[in-house]
Amino acid sequence: MVEYRIDRRSGVATYLQIVQQTKQALRLGLLEPGDKLPTAREVVAATAINPNTVLKAYRELEREGLVEARRGLGTFVRKGLSTAPADSPLRAELETWADRARTAGLERDDVAALFTSVLDQHFPYDQNHSKGDQA
Amino acid sequence: MSTVTAEATTVQSPPSSAHRGLVRTVLRLHRWALWFWVLFLVVTGGALLWAYGPGAHAAWQEYRAADCARDGFLPACGTNGPGYQYFSTVVDSASALLYSVPLLTAAWAGSALIGRELENGTTALVWTQSVSPARWLAAKLAVPAALLVAGTAVLSLLHRTVWSADRELWHDMGGEWHSGSIYTANGTLLTAYVLLGLAVGVLAGLVVRNALPALAAAAIGFAVLLNVLDSLRTHLWPVKTLTGKDGYPDYIGMVVGDGALTSTGARIPDPVCVDDAACLARHDIVGYYRDYHPSSHFWPLQLVETGIVLALAAALTFAAFALLRRRTA
Amino acid sequence: MTDTAIEAAGLGRTFGRRRRARALHACTFRLPAGRVCAVVGPNGAGKSTLLALAAGLLRPTEGTVTVLGTTPAAARERVAYVAQGKPLHPQLTVADTLRMGRDLNPRRWDAATAGRVVADGDLDPDAKVRTLSGGQRTRVALALALGKRPELLLLDEPMADLDPLARHQLMGTLMADAAEHGTTIVMSSHVIAELEGSCDHLLLVGGGRVRLAGPVDDLLAAHTLVTGPAGDLAPHTVVESRTTGRQLTALVRPAGPLGEDWQAGDPTLEELVLAHLRSPDAPALTLTDERQEAAA
Repeated sequence: MVEYRIDRRSGVATYLQIVQQTKQALRLGLLEPGDKLPTAREVVAATAINPNTVLKAYRELEREGLVEARRGLGTFVRKGLSTAPADSPLRAELETWADRARTAGLERDDVAALFTSVLDQHFPYDQNHSKGDQA
Repeated sequence: MSTVTAEATTVQSPPSSAHRGLVRTVLRLHRWALWFWVLFLVVTGGALLWAYGPGAHAAWQEYRAADCARDGFLPACGTNGPGYQYFSTVVDSASALLYSVPLLTAAWAGSALIGRELENGTTALVWTQSVSPARWLAAKLAVPAALLVAGTAVLSLLHRTVWSADRELWHDMGGEWHSGSIYTANGTLLTAYVLLGLAVGVLAGLVVRNALPALAAAAIGFAVLLNVLDSLRTHLWPVKTLTGKDGYPDYIGMVVGDGALTSTGARIPDPVCVDDAACLARHDIVGYYRDYHPSSHFWPLQLVETGIVLALAAALTFAAFALLRRRTA
Repeated sequence: MTDTAIEAAGLGRTFGRRRRARALHACTFRLPAGRVCAVVGPNGAGKSTLLALAAGLLRPTEGTVTVLGTTPAAARERVAYVAQGKPLHPQLTVADTLRMGRDLNPRRWDAATAGRVVADGDLDPDAKVRTLSGGQRTRVALALALGKRPELLLLDEPMADLDPLARHQLMGTLMADAAEHGTTIVMSSHVIAELEGSCDHLLLVGGGRVRLAGPVDDLLAAHTLVTGPAGDLAPHTVVESRTTGRQLTALVRPAGPLGEDWQAGDPTLEELVLAHLRSPDAPALTLTDERQEAAA
C-alpha cells in the first residue's frame, strides 16, 4: 500500500504529485501488479485534498495503462514500472557514480543540481502535465 | 424535478415517527422544566389532598369542639387552634401557588423555551434538521401546552373539591367564591390563563430573541393583560341589583358597584349624608343600590372570561407563527 | 439527484426596519452538484447571509435561490448546515445531541456515520456539550450534519477557532464524506490558504456581491500574473496592478496573447483572491462549469 504526501507549497499540481508518487512506488517495487491503490476516501481522509483531485490522478494513471479501475472493487495496478528495480545494474552504476561524486568532494546539493540538469536534458518535462487539462 | 419527487416518495415513513421525534426532542431539551412541573404538581396536589383529608378533619374537630356551629356563623371562631392554622396556611399557599402558574409559565416560555434558543443560535441547528420552523414552533407550543393543561386541570379540580367540601372553613378564612385566586383556581380560568401565559411567553421570546429580556417582557406583558382582564371581569355578565330604603342592602356576592338613588330613579354617587335629613333631602336621596353577581353567576362569568382568554391566546399564537413565517423560508 | 446544488438569480437580502443595511445584492451564480465550493471574502461581505439563505433560515428580500432543484424549505431534509460558532444545546450530552439528530431526521439518520465522527475525536458520549472545547464542539456539530446524510452540506466558517491538527482532521473527514457519498460541500472562510487543495469551486463575495464564481482551475487559467516595464496593458482586463519604479506587476485576464516584453506566470488561488480583495472595483467574472463528468 502506498501513502501519499501532498506538498502544497511545491507548486506542482496536487493530482500530479499523486501520479508521480504512484510511479515512484511502482519503480521502487513498493507497488506490484495486482496491488490495490488506496480508495479516494482513504486518500482524502488522510490528506484533506479534494476527492476529484484523487480521481483525476487515478484517471491519468489509468490513461497511461498503469492501473485499472474495477467497478465496485477499487483501483488496481496493472503493470509495474520496474525498469530499475532496487538491484538493477543501472542502479549499481548510479551508486558507483554517487560514490565517485562524494570522493570528488561534491555536496548533496551539488549532486542533486548536477543530476537534475542531466535529467532535464535527457527527459524534457512534459508541459501538458503542469496545468489542469481544460477540456 | 421529476426525479426529486420520485425520490421523496420512495423514502416515505409514517409521519407519526417524525412527530414523536420532535416531541422527544422538546422533552429532552426542557428536561428540567419537566421535572420542575412534576415536582410542582406533587407538592401542590399533595398539599390539597392533605387539606382535603387530615387537614380539614383536624380543623373541623376544633370547630366542633369550640361549638362554633351552635349559633350560626361566629367570626373568627375556629381560628385559634393549631389544626385550623395548618389548614388555613396550606390551602392559602396552594391557592397562591396555583395562581402563580400562568405568570411562571409566561416567564419560562419567554426565556428558556424560546428566547434562549434564539439567543444561542440553536434555532439555526434545529431549523436545518428535517423540521420546518413552523413545526418546531408547533411542537414548542403543543408539548408544554398539553402537560400544563393536564396538570392545571387536575389541580383545579382538586382545588374545587377541597373548596366545596369545606366551604365554611374557607369562609372563615375570608375566602369567598369570588376572591381572586379562589375564583381563578375553582373553574376553567386557571387552565385558560396558563395557555395565555404560554402564548405571551412564546411571542415575547420570538420578538425579543434574548432569554433575560424576553423573560422580563413576557412577565410584564402577562401581568398587564391579567390586570386588564381582571378589571373587565365584573362586566362580562349582566349584574343583579339590590336596593334598600334606609341604608345599603346586604353586602353579598361579587359586588360591582353601589351608590344612592334619587326620587327619579337616577343613580348618583353617595354624598355620605348618613342620617342628616337635610342633606338627604338636598340630594333628593330616597334609597341605595348595590350591583353584584350572585354565586350562581360563577359559571357564566367563568366561561365568558375563559372564552376571551383562549381567543387572546389563539391570536397571540397566530401572531407568533406569522412572525416566524415572515423571517424564515 | 439534480445536477445543480445551488442556483441563485438576482438574490439579495436586506436587514433592518427600513431595509437600509444590505447584506447581499443581485447575486447570480450556479454551483454544480458534487463540488467542494469555497465561499471566500472579507468579514461582513455577505458570506453568512448567503449560506443562511441557502439553508432556508432567511427569506430573500430580492431574487430567488434554488437548492437541489427546489426551494430551500422543500430541500430542508436533504441539506445540512453548520452555523458560525457551532451552536449546540449546552445542557445536552454528546449522546443526547446525536439522539436529537436521529429524532429530527427520522428518514435519513445514519447513526454509524455520526458515531464515527464523534468517536474519531475521542469524545466522551456522556460529556455535556457546555464542557467541550471549540474543536470538540465542531466535531459534534459536524457529526450531526453528516449523520443526516445530506446531499448538500453548508458550513459557515467551520475552521474558526480550530488548531491546525483539528483543521486537517476536519477537512479530511469532510473530503472523505464527499468521496464516499458525492456530497456537495459549500464552506465559507476568510482564510484562503486552508481551502486551497480541498476546494474545486470558488465563490468570492465582496461588498454583498459575487466577484468571482466558477471552477478553481478555470478561474486560475483565466488569470495571469505579469511583470514587465510600466506601460499600457490594454486590451487585457487588469484586475490589479502595482508599479515599482519602472517595473509593473499586475494580475490580468488576458484577451489574447501577451506581448513579448511581459513575463507571465500562473497565480496561486491565494494570489488570485487577494488581488481581487485589494481591488474592489475590478469587474466580476463568472465562469460556468461545462464539464459533464460526474464526480464519483
